[in-house]
Amino acid sequence: MTTRREFIKLSLITGSALAIGFDFDAEEAKSFQPNGWIRIEPDGTVTLTVGKSEMGQGVRTSLPMILAEELDADWSSIRLAQASPSDQFPRLGTGGSFSLGGSWMPLRQAGAAARAMLIAAAAARWNVAEGTLRTERGFVVHADSGRRIGYGELTGAAASLPIPSAAPLKNTAEFKIIGTRTKRTDGPNIVTGKAKYGIDTRVEGMRYATIVRPPVLGGSIKRFDATRAKAIVGVRHVVQVQSGVAVVADNTWAALKGRDALDIEFEPGPNASFSSALHAQRMKEAANETGFITRKEGTATAVARHLEAAYHYPFYAHAPLEPMNSVADFRGTSCEIWSPTQAPNSVQERVAEFLGIPKTSVKVNVTLIGGGFGRRLGWDYAVDAADVSKAIGGGPVQVLWTRADDMKHGYFQAASLHQLGGGFDEQGKLVAWTHKKVSSPHNARRKPTEEQLRDPNFYRDSSWGVYDIPYDIPFVETSYVRVDGPVPIGPWRAVFSPSSTFARESFFDELAHAAGADPLQFRLDHLGGAEKITAGELTIERPRLRRVLETLRAKSDWGKPMPKGSGRGMACNVYDGDTHIAYAAEVSVSNGNVRVQRVVAVVDCGLIVNPLGVESQVEGGVIWSLSSALKSEITFKDGQAEQSSFGDFEVLRIDETPRIEVHLIPSHGEAPFGMGEPPVPPAVPAIVNAIFAATGKRIRKLPIRREDLL
Amino acid sequence: MPEFRLTINGKSEIVDADADMPLLWVLRDKLGMTGTKFGCGVGICGACTILDGGSNAVRACQITAADANGKRFTTIEGLSSDGLHPCQRAWIEEDVAQCGYCQPGMIMTACALLKRKAKPTDADIDKAMSDLVCRCGSYVRIRKAVHNAARLVK
Repeated sequence: MTTRREFIKLSLITGSALAIGFDFDAEEAKSFQPNGWIRIEPDGTVTLTVGKSEMGQGVRTSLPMILAEELDADWSSIRLAQASPSDQFPRLGTGGSFSLGGSWMPLRQAGAAARAMLIAAAAARWNVAEGTLRTERGFVVHADSGRRIGYGELTGAAASLPIPSAAPLKNTAEFKIIGTRTKRTDGPNIVTGKAKYGIDTRVEGMRYATIVRPPVLGGSIKRFDATRAKAIVGVRHVVQVQSGVAVVADNTWAALKGRDALDIEFEPGPNASFSSALHAQRMKEAANETGFITRKEGTATAVARHLEAAYHYPFYAHAPLEPMNSVADFRGTSCEIWSPTQAPNSVQERVAEFLGIPKTSVKVNVTLIGGGFGRRLGWDYAVDAADVSKAIGGGPVQVLWTRADDMKHGYFQAASLHQLGGGFDEQGKLVAWTHKKVSSPHNARRKPTEEQLRDPNFYRDSSWGVYDIPYDIPFVETSYVRVDGPVPIGPWRAVFSPSSTFARESFFDELAHAAGADPLQFRLDHLGGAEKITAGELTIERPRLRRVLETLRAKSDWGKPMPKGSGRGMACNVYDGDTHIAYAAEVSVSNGNVRVQRVVAVVDCGLIVNPLGVESQVEGGVIWSLSSALKSEITFKDGQAEQSSFGDFEVLRIDETPRIEVHLIPSHGEAPFGMGEPPVPPAVPAIVNAIFAATGKRIRKLPIRREDLL
Repeated sequence: MPEFRLTINGKSEIVDADADMPLLWVLRDKLGMTGTKFGCGVGICGACTILDGGSNAVRACQITAADANGKRFTTIEGLSSDGLHPCQRAWIEEDVAQCGYCQPGMIMTACALLKRKAKPTDADIDKAMSDLVCRCGSYVRIRKAVHNAARLVK
């Protein structure tokens, strides 16, 4: 197979190396703007420079695997360099589980082009036909004469050749690296403490700062007196900045002590009486509105029996283990930033805008990320650092958020209310489905415009998991009602679909039980009809989901009796029209305490690049979901988040971790799908449905509390 | 500012610090050893776990410079710089890390456990490691890695 692609060759900076630039997003770009580079050195080292951020999802392993495969490079010769925003890298950014799928073809094509050039260079050197040569782990081989030459020896000659725009790609059956269980490239640095996250940035002369923020959402500083804070040894500056009052010191501890000593008063502002209870009441009232119809199909036939239920989903924090932080060095007309960010271009633009300097004067260094989950698509914590550096007259400063800052001043997963209805006809056939979601859309990074707020498509993100219900039901109507509030809302792991999928898959389970049907069979029974359906921009392939469910039945002991007090439940989802996934969960409930014993996952993510990485993401996605089901929520009272650390925003621990078995549908198709997010949405409803099987109690509100089950 | 003497990874260090500065910040900001991580600062998450002189797992955010004076500690940097310590090898073999931020604390806790009990059971691992937080959810592999490390130690 061949695909045409534009490349540019960088002869100026290469010397005797072969360097090729390619464009990860060529289809979106108006002109060719390379945002990925491969460079082969005379010593044979291959460096891939990419703009995807590593936050545990394994891009620094899976992306080079793709390149190495198509280039036929030796895996140990591959190095990875992190891109910084520049004219060469105008569109960096990591989110939505798009890294793998979006990088797939560009990386393959670049690797194939470089490989073709190396073959051409070898053919010229040996004066043989290119067709008589093959490549093998970093060498070009001429089988007839037994000659071999390393890629490194060919870079100079190859660099003078034109780049082929349609180099042949390997057939997927020829893959040697893709599909193998490959360990993380960052593993050795992580276990020796050498891995550098944002917080580990150390720059000569760097100060350490922390910011005291108004505790109430939308509040402000009324007054402060720096005297006591400045009396702390090591405190250098106490300055007001955009987000609060910064205490700048010689080390983190002095900054934290200065913060505690600061004499400060706040204006609470308009949200002082805001609470989760008030927000829940607003959502309840808003549910009376029609809202935006996000999908409406079929016609309602006579309904003989109608069921309704409301599902409630709380606010959650991202709570990555590395708190928000960045280092900024403002130098009057320029600024350098070191940040654990998923959105380097946004950081560059926003810091430049804030400082009033051209974005080309802002250099952004992307570090490793100690957990992202969507939180680090924001640029607020990088602007904080630039703000403080400028306020103290320039020079490098690290701004560190405390754990409490991180819990209380982040972007939150939106609370939501779901009203669902299901109708059966006289023969007991499910003929109608309605699902209305009430929540606040993404409002944290950029305030939506009035025009956006009137556009039904603006609410697609918020309605993921609602309008893309995969089941074949004669009448389907889904809708979305917006509720405004003071809580900053941003995407979480799996964006906004976990709440929707919790409600949809739990209520579908209710309908199965109401129909006296086996929940897994009931789903299969509603996956007939059209093989492919389109919901919004998403395509659902029902045969793929059926195969996942049949595999789940075979692998999960489905239907096998369980002891009293225990139960098995399942749920499934098609994430973003790509990854098809189903879980069966086994739980035991004793005295109201839920113990998840075993989770069986079946995943169809298309072409599998790294099975070890896919399994890792499924395990992590299940555990993430168990935290949200069983442990934590963010509640607001008096206009502020009540939680401040892992003591009151608890997450799952090792002793509560179930056995997790991951079954992958064998690699198929022409493209891989990302796996950072898809494992999350169906995990919670599988557990909730298992609890129903164990106890007969239907959970319709998260997190699950002991008193709900007594 | 008072002066404290402590031994980190076998090396004597003299540190000028506030008496109440947590060892976490002594390591990170004074000695430039950033392998020990800040996760919560209040002893809940375990990201800053290191070993004391008796190979007990302790939280560097809960030990002051004054408390640390005259004592010996081992941090993740001191296990081995080439990743050949059994726990480090096991962590790599099981491909434990996702973001990896919590793993230095996890590894140090596992080291302390294996020192106490050469062949820990699942229940031993639960007991030793249930007060550490991994937000990515790497616990399944952490458990495997501890068992693996126990095999490598002999």
